[in-house]
Amino acid sequence: MSNISTNKWLLDRRHFLRGSGAALALPFLNCMIPNGYSEEKAKKDKPKRSVFVYFPNGVNVLTWQITTAGKDYKLPKVLQSMEKHRNELTHFSGMYHPNGMGQAHVCGDLWLTAAQLSQSGGSYKNSVSCDQLMADVTAPHTRFGSLQISINGGVGSPQSSTTLSWSKDGIPLPAENNPRNMFNRLFGIEKGKLASKRRNLDRRGSVLDTILTDAKKVRKDVGTEDRTKLDEYLQSVREVEIRTKRMEAWLDVPKPKIDSNTQRRFMKNVDQKQAGEYYRTVYDLMALTLQTDMTRVITYMSGTEVKGLALPEIGISQIRHQLSHHNGDPKIMERLTKSDAFLTEQFSYFLDKLKSIDEHGESLLDRTMVLYGSGMSYGHSHGNANLPTILAGGKSLGLKHGTHVDYNIEKLKEYNLTNAHKHYRVCSKPVNDKAKISNILLTMMQKMDVQTETFVDSEGPVSEILT
Amino acid sequence: MKLIKLCVFTYLLTCFSTFGADFKKSVNPFLDKYCVDCHNAKKTKGKFRIDNLSVDFVNPNAVHKWAEMMERVSSGEMPPEDEKLPSEKEMAEFTQAISNKIKEGESERLAKRDKIAFYKLTREEYSNTIRDLLGVTYNASDPSGLSEDPSYHGFQRIGSVLTLSPSHIEKYYAAAETILDEAFPDKAPQIKKEHFPAHKLRNPNRSLPLTEEQYKRLRVDLWPGTTLSGHPGKGKHFSAKQAGDYTFRFQVSGLTPEGGFAPRLTFYSAALDRMFYAKPILAPEVKPIILEFTTHLPEGRHNIIVSNEAKGPDILHRAGRSGQEAFYSFKEGRGPFQYKVTDDNFKPLMPMIIVDWLEFEGPILESYPTPAQKQFLPSKGEKDVDIRKYVNAFASKAFRRPAHDYEIDHYSKLVENEMTKGEKIMPALKAAYLAILCSKNFIYIVEGDAQKNEEFVSNWELANRLSYFLWSTMPDQELEDMALKGELSKPDTLRRQIQRMLKHPYAKNFTKDFTSQWLQLNKVGKFPPDKKLYPKYDTFLEESMVNETIEFFSVVLKENLSLKEFLDSDWTMLNSRLAKHYDIPVSELNFHKVKLKPEYNRGGLLTQASILSLTSDGTRHRPIHRGVWLLESIFDRPPPPPPANVEPVKTTPTNQAKATLRMKLKAHITDPNCASCHKKIDPLGFAFDNYNAVGRWRTHEVVNDGKGENPMVDASGELSDGRKYKDAHEFKQLLLSDIDSFNRAFVEKLSTFALRRTMTYDDKESLNKIAALSKENGYKLQSIIETLVLSDLFKRR
Repeated sequence: MSNISTNKWLLDRRHFLRGSGAALALPFLNCMIPNGYSEEKAKKDKPKRSVFVYFPNGVNVLTWQITTAGKDYKLPKVLQSMEKHRNELTHFSGMYHPNGMGQAHVCGDLWLTAAQLSQSGGSYKNSVSCDQLMADVTAPHTRFGSLQISINGGVGSPQSSTTLSWSKDGIPLPAENNPRNMFNRLFGIEKGKLASKRRNLDRRGSVLDTILTDAKKVRKDVGTEDRTKLDEYLQSVREVEIRTKRMEAWLDVPKPKIDSNTQRRFMKNVDQKQAGEYYRTVYDLMALTLQTDMTRVITYMSGTEVKGLALPEIGISQIRHQLSHHNGDPKIMERLTKSDAFLTEQFSYFLDKLKSIDEHGESLLDRTMVLYGSGMSYGHSHGNANLPTILAGGKSLGLKHGTHVDYNIEKLKEYNLTNAHKHYRVCSKPVNDKAKISNILLTMMQKMDVQTETFVDSEGPVSEILT
Repeated sequence: MKLIKLCVFTYLLTCFSTFGADFKKSVNPFLDKYCVDCHNAKKTKGKFRIDNLSVDFVNPNAVHKWAEMMERVSSGEMPPEDEKLPSEKEMAEFTQAISNKIKEGESERLAKRDKIAFYKLTREEYSNTIRDLLGVTYNASDPSGLSEDPSYHGFQRIGSVLTLSPSHIEKYYAAAETILDEAFPDKAPQIKKEHFPAHKLRNPNRSLPLTEEQYKRLRVDLWPGTTLSGHPGKGKHFSAKQAGDYTFRFQVSGLTPEGGFAPRLTFYSAALDRMFYAKPILAPEVKPIILEFTTHLPEGRHNIIVSNEAKGPDILHRAGRSGQEAFYSFKEGRGPFQYKVTDDNFKPLMPMIIVDWLEFEGPILESYPTPAQKQFLPSKGEKDVDIRKYVNAFASKAFRRPAHDYEIDHYSKLVENEMTKGEKIMPALKAAYLAILCSKNFIYIVEGDAQKNEEFVSNWELANRLSYFLWSTMPDQELEDMALKGELSKPDTLRRQIQRMLKHPYAKNFTKDFTSQWLQLNKVGKFPPDKKLYPKYDTFLEESMVNETIEFFSVVLKENLSLKEFLDSDWTMLNSRLAKHYDIPVSELNFHKVKLKPEYNRGGLLTQASILSLTSDGTRHRPIHRGVWLLESIFDRPPPPPPANVEPVKTTPTNQAKATLRMKLKAHITDPNCASCHKKIDPLGFAFDNYNAVGRWRTHEVVNDGKGENPMVDASGELSDGRKYKDAHEFKQLLLSDIDSFNRAFVEKLSTFALRRTMTYDDKESLNKIAALSKENGYKLQSIIETLVLSDLFKRR
């Protein structure tokens, strides 16, 4: 844990929280500033953050498509809630994952990995997701390396994973689905005296060391060059050892105190049947997590292909999967549009929240890039091209916004949404094969200081959004 | 061999014939004719050379290129339109040859065994093993438990597919802490019994006081879809002072309306996301019955929702029953304004549950000190504790083989270290046990020895294989004894053990796990059926669907019946809920054997609602999914994946006549790119078009788009060899006439499950031998299991 000893995790003195729900100050600030740590350095080390929000089953592409490109684009009704964020975000059209083509409902698994998963002809294999490469850079600064949130806990199963994050070995990282558990993990204060907590962590260290040594001995006896299951085990135990050491290092730093009103909101077990309340609770918790610098990288699978919430509060009793297989039924399609609009409004709420939190004269959104999208567009026949994609925030990290970047328009000339089948085709086959999602992921990675020129099949960073 | 003409079977034969040079021979004519002209050393179009492609299909890079090629050809992208184009037949043969080869290579890769092989326990096996090791129930699927295991073509126990991440280790650590605390309690637990009479169950603080007489007559009314508390989503709190097993006991009546469903009583915790109990209740209003169940609860206060899950009219607001109104049963005279439960002839009007009282008792302990304490911990006050002795006892049990000396030393050292840090002997030993439960030897089934590269597994490894195969848990004392004596591998001993194990209650784990994994039953309900289209679908029906299939398998196993029963049978297992779904008259609540008549249109696995709905998507039946499922589960020959960039399926404009899905999928036959694969897939699925997305029989398909009448179903078809069938029944007869293909596939599925790895070309001969013996023995299920366990395949590393 070299980074811990270099105090990179230092908490900024002026790091006060003035956001709506939370009013908290970090105590004992003076004792945390080591000698020689200058204000300049603190400024230079300002956090850079990334958030990824996935929604399932695509959209009603006939009502979602923005038909005008460039700066003066006009938003369709379904996206009206994005109007007020016009200067803080970019809409994309024509984006796709080359390896996602024909993957139907398996699109969530590769949204952030861009991997060739191979569906039923070959064995399933995923690769590292971009957020984990970012977390490698940010983890030393924060108490938690990264945070995985999902509508369903755990990892699900290959091809219908319930997490967006994948380790370097292509292993899914389990997500948390319950806001209360999440809040407790992030902000909860473990019972017991400091000394006994330290003793517990010390024992944990000894136990891990014991099983590691035992496994290493066998590893030496086997002596093969190939990576084996034993390596997977060794690697995992080692990582938990590092995490334990990080916990030990943070043991003396008190967790931020959250006022009781805010706490109550998260401690209430919010029912997913009240979809709006549920989404806003999770978004608020994400904002609070970023604001208190508990972590700088969050992935949120706001729905999976099999579980995109029904919205009883606006009269929609079907899950999104059922809406997306609408068979051309105008009533169902209208509901799908309503559901699309509803989800976008919740996302807009999140952007509002991030905007409202001030951080040394910048808003939290200015230092946070937020990617919002789906791995499918035309759900009825599993179209995986022209993916709904919005990138918001990150102005202070060197992004510029305010346009609709449309990779279809040059070749397509114009959209004809009255010819549904024609537009469905745009959503099933990429119009411009250079318009890869991985270009956006690469752009974000570079802004997060990940040292790389490529990400899987990327062509290069998206010049249209770089200042 | 006329039967082999059936297309799916022809390619079963080609499957293994394309090995090595054979493969080249089969694809080279195609490549020479259509590809190599543009993709060679001189003219390398698209920077892609075909003339020198490697045929090493174990190498992922080569596989990737071949897959890419297959993809381009099957999607019609290559060869380009202005070049000479292959015929549909050529294309089919070409893509199939590559696809088979990829599967072979993949199996090789997945089955690759190192000197020491590690097969991770699934989370169910982990829980089972913990229970047998320490007598503690661990609910691995609770939100705080272990992660769900990934599956490979349904199988959840393939060693190479079960991965491990740091969070797994964190979870194993947390689980071990909880488990050890419960197994080794510091002091004797206090057993508590609470009794709640009716007036304590709802509105305990009612403002309208009742007379003592009224209190005695009071009962709690659970109308369809309501809860014990009277408020939706609100439960009753039960406090568990410590983690352990607790018993719920209750006196209830359950009324079933004529021709309707029985009410179903459920106990559910949202925080644990666990259904503790869900059973239909049948007891007259005046003759209530006492029922009970025992479940494991973690320490803490639990909000448990007790409901009547049955569907019925929503009379919540009209009934005048909740709130301050007291509910009395009929016999004692009902309360004023009380909504009618029965008609004038005392016949129930709706599925109704009436509760008299409820009891909560626990923690239930076999003894104190617990058996685990007696076995693995020194008694209190024991002097000069021999640490190595205890570590040895625990490690040898947990590792499911005698612990090595260096292991005992290693884990004993942890005890000593903890003691030098000031811990007492008990917590110090517990730390070592914690390490043992997180060690690779516990969470994996380990086979092999780095020093000796053995060809066959040891007696201990055999005991583990056998035990996790037939019981999904660790070997018991008898298996251990046999292993210790080195007698287990003797054929007679093995035969006796198999018979004993199949009779043991744990054999139900095999039935459940193998059936679910082989047939991919975990997909049932994955896409929940649309509530508007299928209003009667509920969780009870869903469970019953899955249980029919599991119970069916269980009977075939217990009665040692032939595999033919799986393809078609004149009986099935039904409860009244599922029977109603099938329109078969059955009143018995529990699953039992039911004789089938031809007009029921059922028989065998393929027309069971579970299979028919797991291959649907919640709104529509999916003939292609059904075809793919059949190829995969019945023939063990999954077809190649669909190409990317397929044309979207068209919807029918509202002014055109309604069309069945089958009509809309016509392109699959007319477009040669599609037809090359779909001619093999689709007919297998169309045969079941008479069953809708939830497996109900129908003659017309309900269609939303288009106008006019719903179209008639056409379940007839023609296999690519020309043999015709008119419906599912005739189709099953075609399958039965080629039972040997299914037999061979079944043997491979069973072996995959038993050996926790995919089968490869090297296993082909052994599998064929087992299949041949199965045929000799009349395809009887128990005999197949015995043959497999006695085979070389089972004993080879």
